[in-house]
Amino acid sequence: MSVQVGQELPELVKHPTTRQLVQYAGAQGDFYEIHYDQAYAKSVALPGVILHGLLKAAFLGQLVTDWLGDRGRLSTFEVSYRGVDMPGHPYRCRGRITSVDGANVGLEVWGEDENGKRTTVGTATVEMSS
Amino acid sequence: MSTTTSVIDRLRARVGVDGPAVTATVEAGHLKRFVDAIGDPNPRWRQEVPPTFLVALAPVSLHLAEAEEYGKGWLNGGNRFEYFAPVMVGDQITARGRVADVYEKEGSSGNLLFIIFETDYTNQKGDLVARLRGTAIRR
Repeated sequence: MSVQVGQELPELVKHPTTRQLVQYAGAQGDFYEIHYDQAYAKSVALPGVILHGLLKAAFLGQLVTDWLGDRGRLSTFEVSYRGVDMPGHPYRCRGRITSVDGANVGLEVWGEDENGKRTTVGTATVEMSS
Repeated sequence: MSTTTSVIDRLRARVGVDGPAVTATVEAGHLKRFVDAIGDPNPRWRQEVPPTFLVALAPVSLHLAEAEEYGKGWLNGGNRFEYFAPVMVGDQITARGRVADVYEKEGSSGNLLFIIFETDYTNQKGDLVARLRGTAIRR
């Protein structure tokens, strides 16, 4: 499969639940209450419990590794969290190729909420195998 | 305001200083719980770790109790991973973290304190396998 600038990655839609947030809290070892305690989350001016930034990063990581498969290796992966996301709402992961320089391919990736707002934005670079 | 300033000064004094190293083995059971939690069914992750797994092996940031004197909550601003070698089940990974930078910024609803953390991950052979740079925000 050829890799060209502008090409979009097959999108990945996730359906996070409060159960998943608790599962992730345990698996990562991040027990910050804003991810499972509604009253606590509201006490720090959040609309309710929110997704871990690193869970959203994991979703975007899957977007990239699903697309890449065994055709190369991930060199860098960077995400910035621009907005909060809540369980019970779909989270749409998208990406496209922004540069191709020999074996090195640059990607733009982002996560959208159901209103199309990019709540997470990032980049990845991969080195394709010859 | 003086309290705020002294918190920032105390945090700045830690910039560049390594925290205690944390060593952990990549266990198949832990890896399975992690990939189940992120919902990634790729069979590759039975042996190799997915891109963000290293954050589950050691704390992502040093616990900076004094930072909690600032604002009322933490936010994760972002994470940047650099990968140098694959990490497999059975690898023994040592994480060494440090504060790389501390600064204050004016936000739309009050000031924010940014703390930049860096973590280097090395394997049992002493090879650097990954590096993580993260931005933690107090609001």
